[in-house]
Amino acid sequence: MAHIESADGASGPAIRPIRRLPLDPSLIIVVLLLAAVVIAGFTLSDRFGTLRNFTNVLEQAAALGFASLGQALVVIVGGIDLSIGAIVTASTVLMATVVELHPALMIPMIFGTLAFGAFIGFINGYVTIKTGVHPLIVTLGTASILNGAVLIFTLQPTGGVPFWFEEFAYGRIGGVMPISGLVMLLSFALAWGFLRYTPTGRAFYAVGGSPEAARLTGIRSNRITLMAYSASGFFAAMAGAYFVSRTGVGDPRVGDPITLASITPVILGGLILGGGKGNILGVLLGVFLISLLSNLLNYMNVSTFIQWVIQGLIIIFAVSIYVHKGKKL
Amino acid sequence: MTEIAAKPGGEPILAKLQQFAVPIALVALMAVATAVQPSFLSPNNLQDILTQAAPLALVVLGQAFVILVRGLDLSVASLMASVAVLATAFNATSDAMIPVIFAAAIVVSALVGLINGLLVTKRNVSPFLATLAMMIVLQGVRFYYTQGSPSGSLPEGFRFLGAGQILGLPVNVLAFALCFGVLGWLLHKSSFGRKIYITGGNPAAADLVGIRSDRVIIACYMVSSVMAGIAGLFLVGFVGTVDNWVGRGYELDAIVACVIGGVALTGGRGTLWGAAAGALILVLIFNIVIILGLPVQAQLMIKGLIIIIAAALFARAQKA
Repeated sequence: MAHIESADGASGPAIRPIRRLPLDPSLIIVVLLLAAVVIAGFTLSDRFGTLRNFTNVLEQAAALGFASLGQALVVIVGGIDLSIGAIVTASTVLMATVVELHPALMIPMIFGTLAFGAFIGFINGYVTIKTGVHPLIVTLGTASILNGAVLIFTLQPTGGVPFWFEEFAYGRIGGVMPISGLVMLLSFALAWGFLRYTPTGRAFYAVGGSPEAARLTGIRSNRITLMAYSASGFFAAMAGAYFVSRTGVGDPRVGDPITLASITPVILGGLILGGGKGNILGVLLGVFLISLLSNLLNYMNVSTFIQWVIQGLIIIFAVSIYVHKGKKL
Repeated sequence: MTEIAAKPGGEPILAKLQQFAVPIALVALMAVATAVQPSFLSPNNLQDILTQAAPLALVVLGQAFVILVRGLDLSVASLMASVAVLATAFNATSDAMIPVIFAAAIVVSALVGLINGLLVTKRNVSPFLATLAMMIVLQGVRFYYTQGSPSGSLPEGFRFLGAGQILGLPVNVLAFALCFGVLGWLLHKSSFGRKIYITGGNPAAADLVGIRSDRVIIACYMVSSVMAGIAGLFLVGFVGTVDNWVGRGYELDAIVACVIGGVALTGGRGTLWGAAAGALILVLIFNIVIILGLPVQAQLMIKGLIIIIAAALFARAQKA
């Protein structure tokens, strides 16, 4: 750690943007949009503004939260992870299959699954660094390989876990606070503290801003990149564990929509594809925004199809209102 | 292929890779296929493969234009399905309506490409996000219109366009050849094509030499969308039924084909020739998987491996 700390002092300019983040215009956008949804919710629906509804939404938002957190970490270091959905799928199948054969391995397999996710993420990072191939292509490739492997293994939902494991998804602390939602919030809090207050976390921004400049200030860029991709895989596996907990099985298709869905909150939260900028709390607000909006629209009986249109328009609105210069993806 | 990539020398090496690696891969794949199944080279089988490849190849041509100007178009597959649904909305029974349907499809597609291009250039939205949002919006509009299950009908002539033959040549392959000729001329012989390469190679420099790079980029997005729209109509003719997911997965396959064919995601490098060959390589690989008796899902794994290996080879050649 020592080398990074000493580098930190010397690389002031590279990481200074962090201190300006609370004023980031795109964070204002997500706060305003979220406020608009909440106000609309209280006005338009009796059922929206209840504690019961909010805790339900928090419980359901856990998977999107985990996936978006991982995506955000990769985006901050200047990459993108299109394999998140495939890792989610593979994790559910791996966990449910092994545990059905050996129910006693339930608890070790929770850690095993998370390690599996982190390992796939590590491979993504390693291939990206070693080959210089765009992360879009690398993660698309690993996603294709993983999905192919899973679908050769099974085309149907498979496996099973002990009944008590559903506590992770459905359990409530004090009958109110959903465990899954709490774990998700804690993960965001940890990531926020890590990125803001540790030298290694700050190095994420430096690497995303310019890997070469970061390397010259003594940051080991490659290690940071590997950490980010591994973390993304780890949180994707966490989302996988959540799905196993909810449904009790491993589903070879469950992750399909997660990859692209994980990008929306990241963008709404003001992170910029290309890296180096953004507040992870914005991503959490983005997760709330998407989840509450879909919750409200469901109460208003708006069809899923119209919800897609609205989601697409929100992305366009959010990214086009704030014109960013420079790196693009 | 590694041998070529390993030689020092920079620019000419990449050119050589693009000229030779792709044809060598094509010949090698065909040799493998023939070795496993001698009937592979029969005219019937080749016709089948080309007929299957044509819709994807049409999309790939457009995708190459966008990638050359440092872009990416994720909306193509969604647009293909939307155009297919639009075509059925006419409820046409007479073949005389086919030109009208094509005209409507091209106008709508061009509009989609225009919006993509405007978002990318005027609002500086990243191509990934602009076209991703467009993909979702088109999907929502399409599903809302069809309420989940498309109805309506297409004139009989579509079947001929998608799967028919003229003098032994598949109609959609002839359409591809026509588009390839026009777009190839545009890209490699016209001044517009030169502007595309300059804009993709260095947008700032392009502006300095008086190229309106914004217009060039918008035009490229429109080419991509129009090609996707046309491909959607041919694919619907080939498949024979309209559903909400016609062309699903083509956006990623098209990008993969471009990368395999040597079109660099960093812009400004690659040929239309290479992109089209990339599409053919991809379809050949899918066929070989089936000939070998492997499960269909193995296609996914092999596709994933191929894209990483191909991209790594080209990245290495560029670094040298």
